[in-house]
Amino acid sequence: MELNIYAYKCKRCGELHYPYKTICKKCGENDHNEFDIVPLPKKGKLLTFTTLYTLPSDYEVVTLALGIVELENGIRITGQLDIKNPKIGMKVNGKVEVVRKDLYKKHLGMIFYKE
Amino acid sequence: MREVYVAGIGITSFSRLEYPLVEIAAYPGLMALRDAGLKKVDHLYVANMGGGRINGQTGLASAVVDHMSLTPAGAETIENGPASGASAIKQGYMAIASGMHDVVMVIGAERMREANPLEATDFVATLTHPQAEYIYGVTLPALAGMFTRLYMEKYGVTARHLAMVAVKNHKNAMDNFYAHLHEDITIEGILDSPEASTNNPYVADPLRFYDVCPVSDGGACLILATAEVMKKINKPMIRLAGIGQATDTHCVHERKDPTELLAVREAARQSFKMAGVKPSDVSVAELHDAFTILEIAESEEVGFFKKGEGHLALERGETQIGGKIPINPSGGLKAKGHPVGATGVGQAHEIVLQLRGEAGKRQVKNAKVGFTCNFGGFGNNVVCLTFIKE
Amino acid sequence: MSVDLEKILRPVDTPLPKFPAKYMTLANGQEMVVRQAERDEIPDILPHVEPLIHVERDFYNIVAARLYSELLAYYTYRVQDEYVLVAQIDGELAAIVNGRSVSPDVGMSYHTFSLRRGLRVGAHAFATKMEYHIDILKQKEVLIVAESGIGFRRWMIEYNLEKRFHIPHELGGCPSWSLTKELFDKARNTLVVGRRPVPEHLLAKAKAGILPPSDPPKGPEDLLAATRSMLDSTATSLIEMRRKQGGKIQ
Repeated sequence: MELNIYAYKCKRCGELHYPYKTICKKCGENDHNEFDIVPLPKKGKLLTFTTLYTLPSDYEVVTLALGIVELENGIRITGQLDIKNPKIGMKVNGKVEVVRKDLYKKHLGMIFYKE
Repeated sequence: MREVYVAGIGITSFSRLEYPLVEIAAYPGLMALRDAGLKKVDHLYVANMGGGRINGQTGLASAVVDHMSLTPAGAETIENGPASGASAIKQGYMAIASGMHDVVMVIGAERMREANPLEATDFVATLTHPQAEYIYGVTLPALAGMFTRLYMEKYGVTARHLAMVAVKNHKNAMDNFYAHLHEDITIEGILDSPEASTNNPYVADPLRFYDVCPVSDGGACLILATAEVMKKINKPMIRLAGIGQATDTHCVHERKDPTELLAVREAARQSFKMAGVKPSDVSVAELHDAFTILEIAESEEVGFFKKGEGHLALERGETQIGGKIPINPSGGLKAKGHPVGATGVGQAHEIVLQLRGEAGKRQVKNAKVGFTCNFGGFGNNVVCLTFIKE
Repeated sequence: MSVDLEKILRPVDTPLPKFPAKYMTLANGQEMVVRQAERDEIPDILPHVEPLIHVERDFYNIVAARLYSELLAYYTYRVQDEYVLVAQIDGELAAIVNGRSVSPDVGMSYHTFSLRRGLRVGAHAFATKMEYHIDILKQKEVLIVAESGIGFRRWMIEYNLEKRFHIPHELGGCPSWSLTKELFDKARNTLVVGRRPVPEHLLAKAKAGILPPSDPPKGPEDLLAATRSMLDSTATSLIEMRRKQGGKIQ
């Protein structure tokens, strides 16, 4: 089963939000929970990235590549990268996988690969 | 609204302190009371971020007010991430300006080194967005690393410029008894020599070890008072003339232009407007250089230099003591240290010292207008203060 | 004819290649020389280790206590195939690293003891020790444990050491970690630095004598406050305090 990251679309004005906001940032008119969920596209462009060496204690790897990606629909997302030599502007494809394990819980998020 | 002045100041060393958190808060309070020649205050604000999580002490202000025998004065703990210090000063200002109190003590204190380095990193990472940033293992250095990469790409800032900020601030700190690091580092040692990769390893590339501030313990205190109270105190009249605060999106990826620090820009604008001065009037500034890139970026956003030219001004030596606009004469967060809750008050402490003419070897000549920028989260909550010597 | 007791009590040392001295530039521009210490220099080193046996922070006390015994053992010929490397800045003692050779293929790292904080001296010293085992002694792996969390983060995590938990380490039988030749080669470019040969004047200064460190780690300046910070109203949590005050508090 393919997993998605969901954005929230205001039912009144259609503005997309990722991550969730209680009050729509465009019209501010929504009632509580007046949002539709919309799966985020998986293709995008790498805006910036870093390789982190001082990791939180949950991680057993030595380094972590992180980046900010601008997805096809203009929404931006932070994610991990599984890319050997990332470059700003590179086209990337995302997949929802385990990005962090804390004690007993697994957290799912986007990992981006080179297109 | 009444005018608000600084009656007394106090500070601890910003290093590794083997004292309980409450005492790290109380000591600068004691020093400030002696400095001002006061015995009592009407109210106490204590800025602190990690008390609950790292030190097992919530409600820190309630503990401090009793520890200093200042009960029954009211007391509140103020938490605004790394901007807790300046936020607490802001609360102190409002209490006096509104007429509610005449003398307010503002303390900032943090004891981060009670935890091991892994816990300290995790703790600061809780500032990030829980679903959209934290789960990816994003820490503040990671956000700063991504920001730096964009800055380098867009404006031509290089690793050398970042190293110059670190070297300048370390040099300034050599003359600051209270600074955490007294290490006169050189560009050769951290960048050029063949051993630079071990001396200065990557933390979140392009940021390296000497681009990131240390983990420090420390406390600082400002006592604020009305002009009436100041008449009885034989100290220079240093007025807290301007305060500005602004916020930005929680997730860094949601910022309109990820190379802009709009919250810094707006908070500085408000602070200058309220004080009735322009950026070019500022004699000395303490900016929030938790990462060396931030000193450069903030120097542009607050209005000292044009956007994208901060690193050029750094090259020309304009931000040295003796330069056009000395930045971080205390050593900044990079060398003076960054006990998260205390930093904002520590910055104000340095500015007051400078305006009073008591900064010794790192004195900026004829300092008349001082400015601080306290950066919360990663640029999503910023408080700027402007002090004027009357 | 008397019995040569000393000959019976001494281990038979394997002839091991000496460590060729190297030097590196530190973050503050100063140069540090790392060289192998001679046996007769040990008495000059011991007085600088001893005070840290009483610093109850960051595990200085146990590292200093164990190192002291290892240095004495080396000096009095009571341990086999041990080596001691010293790092000096302008003649001043900055770090001591030691270990021993268990077999031609396996090395046992003992301690990395840094007296100069803030310049990554410990990182340089540890890397140099690994270079001695892998490149000079040509061993296949080095067994390592860490007493402090700082050591753990720097070595186990940064070098990505392999677990060898079935092998008890000589330092108290704790589960060992291993730096293999493969891992060392991977880390070579960034973590193992320093240059050879050492310039004449630097080496001469270092060999002239081991000078005392100018700012070694010390215990807390305010012992009572330190006990309070450990949530101890009885003020007995600091062994040093009792020792200094002969069992009484103030």
